[in-house]
This record gives sequence, structure tokens and C-alpha cells, in this order.
Amino acid sequence: MDFGREVRPILAEKCFHCHGQDAKTRMAGLRLDVAGADLSKVVERITTTNPARRMPPAASKRSLEAGQIAVLQRWVAQGGQYAQHWAFVPPRRPTPPGGGGGPAANPIDAFVRQRLAAEGMRPNGPASPQAWLRRVSLDLTGLPPTPAELREFTAAVQNGGERAYQSTVKRLLGSARFGERMAIDWLDVARYADTHGFNNDSERSMWRWRDWVVQAFNENLPYDRFLTEQLAGDLLDKPTIEQRIATGFGRNHVINSEGGIIEEEYRVEYVADRVRTLGMAWLGLTLECARCHDHKYDPISQKDHYRMYAFFNNVPELGEDGRVANAVPILQAPTRAEERQLAALDAALLKAKAKPRPVSAIETPGALTLTPEQAVPVSKHEAMSFAFRVTGTGKETELFSSIDYKRNMAATTYGRGLDIRLAGPEIEFRFADRLAAYSIMVRSVGAELAPGRERHVVVIYEGAHDAPGAMRAYASWVRVFVDGREVATRILHDDLAMPERSLDQPQPTKFRVGPVKEAQYWTRVLRGAEVRSLARLAMADPELEALREQRLRIARRVSTVMVMQELPGEPRATHVLLRGQYNLPGDRVEPGVPEALLGAWPAGAPRNRLGLARWLTKPDHPLTARVVVNRFWQQFFGQGLVKTSENFGLQGESPSHPELLDWLAREFVDSGWNVKGLLEKIVLSATYRQEAAGSAESYARDPENRLLSRGPRFRLPAELIRDQSLFVSGLLAEKLGGPPVYPYQTKDLYKNIVVAATYPGTTWPEAAGPNLYRRSLYTFWKRTVPHPTMTVFDAPDREFCVVRRSNTNTPLQALTLLNDPTFAEAARKLAERAWREGGKTADGRLALAFRLATGREADEEELGMLRDLLGKMRQEYAEGGERARQLLAVGASPAASDIPAPELAAYASVANVILNLDEVITK
Amino acid sequence: MMSSRRELLSRVGFGLGAAALHALGAPRSFPNFAPKAKRVIYLFQSGGPSHLDLLDHKPYLKSRYNEDIPPSVFGTQRITGMVAHQDRFPVMPTMYSFRQRGQSGQWVSDLLPEIGGIADELCVLRGMHTEAINHDPAITLLQTGSQLPGRPSMGAWIDYGLGSENANLPAFVVLNSLPSNGQPDQGLLARLWGAGFLPSRYQGVQFRSGGDAVLHLSNPPGITREQRRSQLDGLAALNQRLKERVGDPEIDTRIAQYEMAFRMQASVPELVDLSREPESTFALYGPEAKKPGTFAANCVLARRLAERNVRFIQLYHRGWDHHGGLTERLPALTRDVDRPSAALVRDLKLRGLLEDTLVIWGGEFGRTPYAQGPAKPDSYGRDHHGRVFSLWMAGGGVKRGLAYGASDDYGFNVAEGGVHVHDLQATILHLLGIDHERLTFPFQGRQFRLTDVHGRVVKEIVA
Repeated sequence: MDFGREVRPILAEKCFHCHGQDAKTRMAGLRLDVAGADLSKVVERITTTNPARRMPPAASKRSLEAGQIAVLQRWVAQGGQYAQHWAFVPPRRPTPPGGGGGPAANPIDAFVRQRLAAEGMRPNGPASPQAWLRRVSLDLTGLPPTPAELREFTAAVQNGGERAYQSTVKRLLGSARFGERMAIDWLDVARYADTHGFNNDSERSMWRWRDWVVQAFNENLPYDRFLTEQLAGDLLDKPTIEQRIATGFGRNHVINSEGGIIEEEYRVEYVADRVRTLGMAWLGLTLECARCHDHKYDPISQKDHYRMYAFFNNVPELGEDGRVANAVPILQAPTRAEERQLAALDAALLKAKAKPRPVSAIETPGALTLTPEQAVPVSKHEAMSFAFRVTGTGKETELFSSIDYKRNMAATTYGRGLDIRLAGPEIEFRFADRLAAYSIMVRSVGAELAPGRERHVVVIYEGAHDAPGAMRAYASWVRVFVDGREVATRILHDDLAMPERSLDQPQPTKFRVGPVKEAQYWTRVLRGAEVRSLARLAMADPELEALREQRLRIARRVSTVMVMQELPGEPRATHVLLRGQYNLPGDRVEPGVPEALLGAWPAGAPRNRLGLARWLTKPDHPLTARVVVNRFWQQFFGQGLVKTSENFGLQGESPSHPELLDWLAREFVDSGWNVKGLLEKIVLSATYRQEAAGSAESYARDPENRLLSRGPRFRLPAELIRDQSLFVSGLLAEKLGGPPVYPYQTKDLYKNIVVAATYPGTTWPEAAGPNLYRRSLYTFWKRTVPHPTMTVFDAPDREFCVVRRSNTNTPLQALTLLNDPTFAEAARKLAERAWREGGKTADGRLALAFRLATGREADEEELGMLRDLLGKMRQEYAEGGERARQLLAVGASPAASDIPAPELAAYASVANVILNLDEVITK
Repeated sequence: MMSSRRELLSRVGFGLGAAALHALGAPRSFPNFAPKAKRVIYLFQSGGPSHLDLLDHKPYLKSRYNEDIPPSVFGTQRITGMVAHQDRFPVMPTMYSFRQRGQSGQWVSDLLPEIGGIADELCVLRGMHTEAINHDPAITLLQTGSQLPGRPSMGAWIDYGLGSENANLPAFVVLNSLPSNGQPDQGLLARLWGAGFLPSRYQGVQFRSGGDAVLHLSNPPGITREQRRSQLDGLAALNQRLKERVGDPEIDTRIAQYEMAFRMQASVPELVDLSREPESTFALYGPEAKKPGTFAANCVLARRLAERNVRFIQLYHRGWDHHGGLTERLPALTRDVDRPSAALVRDLKLRGLLEDTLVIWGGEFGRTPYAQGPAKPDSYGRDHHGRVFSLWMAGGGVKRGLAYGASDDYGFNVAEGGVHVHDLQATILHLLGIDHERLTFPFQGRQFRLTDVHGRVVKEIVA
């Protein structure tokens, strides 16, 4: 008898709730999750006819069925042996079975065929080369094959047989589209979005992290490093910028900026979200169940939960943050192109010959003298320049400040105002609605203001330059000059909302003035020559200065990304939170993992996120590899070998093919966590290459194809449906990475839904040109109103980690595919393409449109149906020139002028049907 | 398996694939007992309407004006950052008068004369309470049973449990409106009508004003309905041909969904077209009902949806977040909603629909008995308050002319008859014939339900 597969699921579902490991809900001191109970008494209680003694009690609504009672009786009769849950035992490499369905070249097939044989079933034969090519192209690149690729592959199979399959997989894995396809699933897992979520749901900038994911897949970053860099890239030895960007994984969670929330309540939620994601994404466990009490089913205690929580509880973050921009901690994250530009300027600076010239004193009109009595106009929109002389103090010293630091820090307007101060040897600029969350905070890098030496300092806030539609101020507008030379800056906070100009008249502001001399103020940006003149430099090198300024300008423009970071000094203490509540701390705990259950902490590993990553990637970790290979399997076959890909615990489903799962996991780890290598094995297997068709009996016997007697067949994910339509119609604009884009979306979609304040991310600035047609993973993702073309096809809203989408079939999907301008325009462009490239006959054109969309030739009957339809559509437009023009006007791309409008409209109507075919939107 | 699959397919109608059906496992068996209500209209007042100025008469506050709330009453109130800087929390009585209305003598504010006029239909819950003190978590708790994102919304649960009774319309429809004063404050969130971890087909379908009522409902310009019919016939023939070759029953479902889409293209415009409503309708709901997208127009639509047996009809009206300037802003809001809300109840009654339609009116929390900012007798604001607030229900099996529960003299805490958000949800499900402990869905190894692990059916209000 298999305890794990037959007995424990019954105990877990019916008994553990009151007789499991949670001491608080345990009844009668009885545990059934571990050996030790008197099982004969248990049998008596589950079989008695006395309702008062009968277990489980009727009121619990967990009554046992007759079959379940029989299983438990049999188990007890056989000795009542307990065994560890399969998923908590490290996978061992099983030997692939021989025989059965014949010698299979690929161990995957040996396992699958053994199971089929045991069920008295036979696998399907191979799909046609064309069908496989379409399947594998969609799976590995997210796009279907072109007619040329289909042709070449068919010929190559004829000539080279198996080698053609192998080289095609190599080609697809080498394509940059591979990373774009693989990223889609990971963005769900990592809850990536371009807004913060919650009520205000304003824009954030995390696309640098998204591009890191695409790149990681394309460069075949081994999965152990993929995991380590995302969990703890910042803690690696001398981390690169890329490795620090990767830690954005830990910051992709929702962040609340609703005014008046209790800081700690939400800071705790963010940490808890990281634990939940740790569980679902890497471990396949429902760790959050142990947040409020010991886990009811899995041997994870509440203390275990908070020990893992402690790893993520040491981030210098705020509970309320992210009103108009990124929430701290943030990192300036240059792209590779920007890094190249900066490096080129550095090289130019090194090579440049100094040509100092005398500085001539010039006028600096418009100066106001800054004294405590003198009010000067201050506005977020308007430029400001401060100039003064100061001697370093080596400590925090206020120079100019209008911020009242004595107010209650919990108040929503605490810290409002402007402040320029010395922070040790550096200059710090603060401009805030509320400190620290809603502020710009910028600090110089390398100002070197030291005691004993007076320096000249200029601080410039460039203002909005009438930037159209600007709804926030930017930290990159702040520039600092010391002795006439601009110095670099570092952004500490960059989250300051800016009301419309009409609502934001300059406020007369008085500053407290610290130990400065010659303090002056302008409501404009000082030019470089003016700064040098004010600094009374004798000589300067304008060419070198121009280069430096150019470099600093690029550096300031670099996007930021939210990252993980550790608090300086002592780690923040972590306590068990009673009932999971932020304000009910219990016992203090130290960072740690459930070692007894899932394996020992690696010797010598630090007790931080890096150590956690080392533990997760131990070669014998029971879960990490199984969970990810299962998710890859799910991506290709529609469901995992463990169907509950989010839960490998006691309540999860048992694997359909346990040995195959273990073999894949072992193979993956032993290959050095080689992702492309693993995927190659899967897509070359006979199991994957099977024909997808099935008889009625086949579908009746195994509707979900758990036994894998058929090739995978299921509706494509949302992103692929749109991308494929754009691709086959020739509209797709391929460009790797970059900020999110705004394709078509119903104009007033946000009306009646989004917050009233005009925060960034509350309007949809529809793109023009190529950005209308980028791949869907680049579409701006607003969590509270995600793009309907995505959600209608089951994309989640990304408010939290999701490892498995549902796959539904609804009338709203039909309406979208038929009528959404995205697809109507694609149909028109597909028609144009077919008309031009399909020869001179209707049959040739229809056949091409069909081939482009389905990857196969239409048979005679299908061609006949398309011909009939074209005939009807031609009649529709025979007299309807105006209607034809209306249809052709859908979408931003111009309609072909060389094709008669009624003819093109008729073809477009047929293409509209073709793009709706079940076969087209199904893999 | 096949017969139950077919049975389910016929019951749910609105879009569910064969594989998804299979994945749902055992067929559901709801209702568990005879329902009192067949459908729900939830008139959600988003932002936190002040119970003290609308539904909860607290004359004692007048005698304590501008005094501090006693610590014994204040207790462990969690205060928001918006008043954290206030050094005192002065009692703020309402400036509006209340009177007893109808034979039941229910106290209703003069800001709600029409709702007062249907006092004998109302079951007012004066002991509502929630632990959330901010909008997003509070509204999410009310609509999904959890303060945090991720759970299915109430309408999705009910659709999942009971399915649709109209083959041409979705079972769960959402209608949003903005206040006429142009100050909607807080945003709404797709998750409030989302499916959470239920299959996404259970998410509410937003009916929009202006343009297509349902996104992409209309054919592209230049394609007529007859032409669309030809297109769909061609599509079905090709899909049928594929079905013969491939055998996947999912293809049959897809063909059926395209037919449903075609029917919706006719049924939805007919539904949202108010031009054939008689003048008497607008006399009842008010002239605003002629303007698409207003709360009044949405109330008429709600009645039309109820007539067509749509299961869960969710309206949102925003702008009740009156931290300051309550006395200017509240009357604008009550003007928007008072007449249409009462008209809807009257209209449903007239048509014999009220007895099996449950109407619910209320927000995510109430507002503080202390002033936020200056406590002037005729100009004040109030902060969020979850410790007690009020909400009313009508029809659908609740007692008429009843005030259930009460707040204390300060309108600060529950004095008796406390109804937690989960209790309200359990009661709504009960009225629909559903045992809230049995409407569950397995996710992450656990049986989840709308009421989490809580919820008490408030039998005292069930007729």
C-alpha cells in the first residue's frame, strides 16, 4: 500500500485540521500526521454508527466516504506505516524503463510509454513535421513559423531526418525571441507590473528588471544563478549592476500609497508577500498558510514561516510609498546601451587635452538674496538655483530649510517643504510633500566638503521645462556644482507628485538659513558660465566641462529600478506575528529554513538571502528542481506532471509520472541547471512530437491528457494570440526590451474606475508608429485595470504570484477576436499580404492566408469553404464602397491604395474569420 | 462524467471549456436549500458614507459637541495617518436632522427623503463593522472576503455556485458611475469584480456607458449583422471540420461561444437601450436617469438586468470619502443616489421582483464621530471609521421595516447586533440558498470560501 498516494491525502483532507501539527487547533491531543496514535481506536471511531462518537464529526463537513474508510482500514490492518511525503525526499535518478512500447531514444518517452502500457493505452504517432514546427516555434519563441521556414524544414526532414529536428531546436533556442517567450510565464510568477497596485495604482519603473529576465533566458543563465541573482544578487561578492537589477524580483509586489495607511501594517504585507512568493515560485509550497498559525497540512510551523520572513525583513523600505514613482530602495540602472555611451564619454574625458582658459566675470541677473526674513517664490514647476559659500562641518547641517521637522511624523503632511543640507562631505537636496515617502532626495557624490576650507556651491532644480502632461517632479532635475564644476548625484528618493501648473502657483517661502555666506537665489537655471563666474574661478576648461556635463546628463536620465538591499547596521528584529498581525509581535526568531523537512543549511553559508539561495540550489534540495521542471512541462503540455504546480505539499496532487518528474529534475541539476538543455530534451521527445488528434474514446478516457497519449493541444496564452496575429499580418514590430508601450486600448477604459488624482499611470497615452505593434509582454501592465485583450484570455492581474493560468473559453474572447481593432487591423493586413503574395488567383490568396495563420495547407474542402465565404463577402461589398472603406480604415496603418477597396474588404472579412479559427488560437 | 459535464455546460452556459469543466471535478450542488432570493443588486457606495449623517441617528452627540471622545469609548481605535497629527478628537454631531419614517418608524436623515419614503421596506443594519481602516483593504474585504488581493469577488463566487439563468447575458454584471460633483476620489479595482483563483470566466462583465456597453461588442465599422452571420457560419463550418479531424471537444465549446457572442450582440444593446422606457420610468427614477452612466441610469439598467434574471448586479457610485468639506459634498452625493435607490426598490416591488431580488445599499466603512480638522457646527469632515457603520437591505427574503443592531451613544462602537463583513457575506449567500461553508474552491491545497474561516448567518434578519 502506498501511504503517500493513497492514505495521506485522506488523512490530510479529513483529519489534519483537528489532528495535525497545529497545536492550537488540535483536539483531544491526538496527532495523525505523525506515527504514534493508537490506530485501532481511530478505526473504531471512523466506523462506529454512533453519531456522537463518529469521526469526523458531521458538523465538520469532512465526513469520510465509504471507499476512504476502506482504505484507512486496510492501511491499519497492514501495520499503519507512515512514510515521508514524496516531495520532501530528494529526487533520485530513476533508471528509464526498457521494453514496453519498444526502445525509446529519449528517456522521457520510456517513462511515458511505460505508464501508457500499464493503462493499456498506446501513444499517438508523430505529428507532421509542419505541425511540430508550428508547435515548437510557438513554444520556444512565441511566434509561428514563416512559410519559408515550413518549406525549408519539410525539405530538411526529407533529406536529413532527425538532424533537421535537432538543428531547428538549436535555431529556435538561439533566437532572441526565446527570452521574450520564456519571460511571459516568469512575469506572472514574479508578479511583474508597471504600476504599484492598490487604490492609487500609479506608475512604477521595473522594465529594467523585465529586460534582465529576457536576457537571462537568452543567455541561458543557469537556473541556480537565475534564482540566486534574483533572491540575493546584491549580496554577491562585488555585484554587477545587472545582478542588483535582478533583485527587483523581491520588489515586484504591490505597494500601497493610500494616504493615511499605517506604515508598519503594509511594510509587513510586503515582507509576507516575499515569503508567499518564495513558497510558490521556488518551493511549490503554500508557506503563507503558516503566517497566522501552524500549517494545517504541511509540516511547516508558524515559527518556520517567520524564520523565512526574517530573510526579507531587513530592507530599508517604507509601508506607504510609490505615489508617483518608484518606492525605495531604488537603483539607477543604465541599459547596456547607456553603459556604452557613458564608457565612451569616460574614454573621451581621459583622452581630452586640458585647455584651461581664464574665466571672465559676468553678470548673473535676477538674483534674490536669501535671508531668513526674505520670502522667495518656490514651485515644483519652476526652476530654482541656489548659490552660496559654505565650509564643511563633517556632519548633518541644515543650510536652507522650510521643513518643520518638529511635527508628528505620522501625519500625512510631515516634512513638507524644501531643504538643502550638508550630509557629511556631501550636499543633500530634499523637496517633499511628505518625508520620506513623497519626496525628491538627491545627494551629491564626491563634493568633498571638509572642515577648514570654504567652497562655492550651486544647487539647481531645473523645474518642469513645460514638459507636457508632467504629473510628477523628477530627481534628475537636481544638479550640484562645487567650485564651478558639476559633481555627480545619487538619487535617494524620487517620488514627488506635481499638480497641474494652474493649481501650483509659486509659494512665497521663507527658509531657515544655516552657516552659509553670499546666499543667492534665482527662479531660473544658471548657465555654466554663470556658475563659474559666481565661483570666481581664475581658470576653467569649458570643453572638458561640456564633456563632463554631457556625461552627467546621461547619468541623470538613466531609469531607476526598485531593488533589494539590506539595512545598514544591526538587522531588524523579526518576531512571530500572532494571527499574522503587524501589531501583535510574539517570540523573536532568527532567519532560518525548515531544515528537518527540506534539508540542512549549507555549511558556512551566511544567514541572509544569499545563504537562502545557496540552500535552495543545493543539488539535493527536494523541491527546487522538481518545481521548475514541472512548470516548464506545464508550459509545453498545458499542465504539469504535478497538476497543482503551485503546491507540492500534502494537499497538492500527486505527480502523474513520478519517476519522469524525478528523472527530469535530476537531469536538470546534473546538467548544471541548464534550461535550454532541458527544454531541448522535452521538445525533441516523441511524447511532445505526437499527433494531437484523438478519438472520442481517447478524449472520454483522458480528457485532460494526463497520460500523454496525445500531443499537447490547448488555446494559446493571451500574449501569443495577439503576437501571432501581428506577426502573420506583417505588423509586428520586433524590438528587444525597453520601457513599456501603449498599444490600442479602448479610449475611456479607465473612466469610472481609476483614482481621481492625475498620477502617472492613470491615463493611456496611446502609441504612434511601431510601438502599437510590439510584442505583448511590453504592453503597459496596470494592475487594477489590466489590458482587456490580455485578461479576457486569462492573463492574471499580477497583484501577486501566479504560477498557473486558467484556460477558459468565453463569448468575450470571441467578441475580442472578431471586433477588437487590434485583430480587425491584423485581418486587413493579412488580407493585403495574401493578395500581394498569394499569386493572382483567389485560391492562391486564400491558401496563403490560411497557411500563414495555421502553418499548414488547407485541404480541398477547407479551401472550398473559404472560397464560398469570399464569394459572400464580395457580394457584401459589391455595392458598398463606403462600407468597404469604413472597414479598411480600422487601425493606424494605412490601407493599401493599389488594391480595390471592395476586394480588399472582402479578403479582410475572410482573414477576420481565419484569425478566429480554433486551430489558429490553439497550439 | 459526460452527463454531468453536459449538465454543467447547460447550466453555466456562459463560457467554460471542456477541459476546465473536467478540472472542476465533482459537479456542484447549489442551492443547498430553497433560496429566498434569486438575484442580488448591490448598490455599492464607495468611499465610506457617513452613517452618522445618513442612517444612524445619534442625538447624544449634540450634547457632547466638541468634547473629546472619552477614552473608554475610543478604546484601541486604529487611527489613520490623516488624523494622527490631531491632538484631540472632538465629538462632531451631525448638522442634519433625522426623522422617523413609515409605520416602522425607522430613523432616516433628511438627506435621504426618498429612501426614508421606503423605510418600511428596509432592513437597516446599524451594527456593521470591519477591521479595515483604509479604502483599498476595506472595499476588498467587503467584495472578496479578504483585505488583500487574490480572492474571488462575491459575484464571481455566486456565479460559480449558481450559474446563469440567462443564456444571452453574463451572470455577473458591473455598472460604475461617477458623482455629479466631479469628485470621485478613490479608484475602483478590477479585482473587486475579479475571479481571483476561480476560472477567469467568473469575473464580472463591466457594462460601460458610451461606446460599446460590453467591450468590442459591436462589429467593426463596415461589417453588418447579416455579414457577421455569414462569417460565423463559415467559421463554424471550418471549426466543425477541424473537430472531425482532431476530436477535441473544446472545439464544440468554442463554436457555442461564438454563437453566444452573436446573441449578446443583440441582447446587450436591447438591454441598455433606455429609449423605449416609458416616461413613468423617468418620473420615478428622476431625469438624471436619461443620462447614460449616471447612478440613476444604472439603477434603471439594474432593474432591466434583474428582469432578465441576471444573477449578480453590482453598481458602484464613488465620492463618499468626506475627510473635509463633508457638509458641502455629502448633499451632492445623496442627491445623486437617494431618489434612484428608492425608485429601484419601488419599481422592483411594483413588478413583483422585489420578493426574490436582494437589494443592498452601503459602503466599505462609516465615518468617525469625531471631526477631522476643524469641528465647526455647520462645516466639518470625518475620517474613516470601521468600528461601526450602517447599511441597508431590501427584498430578497430580509425582514421589512427592521432596524437590526445598534451603535453606542457616540456612534463609535457596536452596542448590540454586530454584523461583521463576513457575517453579511454569509447572510447574502444564505438568502441565495447557499451554505457559505460549502461554497468552496480548492486552491493551494486548501478549500477557500468567500467568508474565509468566519461568517455567521444573521438569522435575525431573515424573513
